[in-house]
Amino acid sequence: MEAPQYVAARVQAALAEDVRTHELGIRVDVRGDQLFLRGEVSGAEQRERLAQVAREAAPDLQVHNEIHVVEIERPGESEHLD
Amino acid sequence: MTDLRIAAVGDIHLGEDVRGQYRKNLDGIEERADILMVAGDLTRHGTLEEGRVVADELRGLPIPVVAVLGNHDYHSDLQHEIAEELRRAGVIVLDDDGVVIECGGIRLGVVGGKGFGGGFAGKCASEFGEPETKNFVRHTRMIAEAWQQALKDIDADRRVVLSHYAPIKETLEGEPLEIYPFLGSYLLAEAVDTAGADLILHGHAHKGTEKGMTSGGIRVRNVALPVLGRAYAVYCLACD
Repeated sequence: MEAPQYVAARVQAALAEDVRTHELGIRVDVRGDQLFLRGEVSGAEQRERLAQVAREAAPDLQVHNEIHVVEIERPGESEHLD
Repeated sequence: MTDLRIAAVGDIHLGEDVRGQYRKNLDGIEERADILMVAGDLTRHGTLEEGRVVADELRGLPIPVVAVLGNHDYHSDLQHEIAEELRRAGVIVLDDDGVVIECGGIRLGVVGGKGFGGGFAGKCASEFGEPETKNFVRHTRMIAEAWQQALKDIDADRRVVLSHYAPIKETLEGEPLEIYPFLGSYLLAEAVDTAGADLILHGHAHKGTEKGMTSGGIRVRNVALPVLGRAYAVYCLACD
């Protein structure tokens, strides 16, 4: 059986290298037959694509998509550099 | 005393599915800032299609726009074509060179480019061993030398360095320590400290920290969009 650390590393590499995602900052954790994705992306579609690529890279694991979609806020106050 | 207001953001990672969405955030930017600086990773995969989306989002803004590319923008080996698309849309794209822009009577010099990694003083790669390692570090060193020269050559009232990779580790806090060498290099900060500048802007480190300072006391701001959590930050440089 493949060690969970290698499975997580393989999924993380897939998320970075797959043409559908190219996302570098996603944390991947494997516990038993569960795989957890965590991190932040800018859109719901990207979050779904990441889960899809993870499922394909680790088809025997149940993928929990805990990736957060960040809402961009309006620019706040300026910083004065004196 | 007049302030020069610099809007800055990096890592906007645009694609066809979010076309038009970032532009909405730039409405009214001319009331908040005199110039917009974009610190690389404009696209996700570095395709020409994504480059065109970015060009359309930044086209025709009422203030000057200066940008550098990031590692994502290099992924499809179309960095020159993407830069050309942006230039056609009126964006000034820096590639290890500099420009002087007239901003409200102030001559603002901007120097920069993508930057690169290697790590930080005492915990970094060096030009030793295999050719791959030497090339990696040499790439960063040559970039740093180009920036230092460009800063020395520029005649301006205020000077800002725009990078994608980080020049210091302070603005990386929040990122795993193990990947610091892939997030930036102290050679960039050393070059800027030697030549002098008023502010360094960078992106790349999505989990990093906004504010830091070089060993020489130059303010550094990590303006990666996930760090800011807002459409852009505005930094005001005091100008006599």
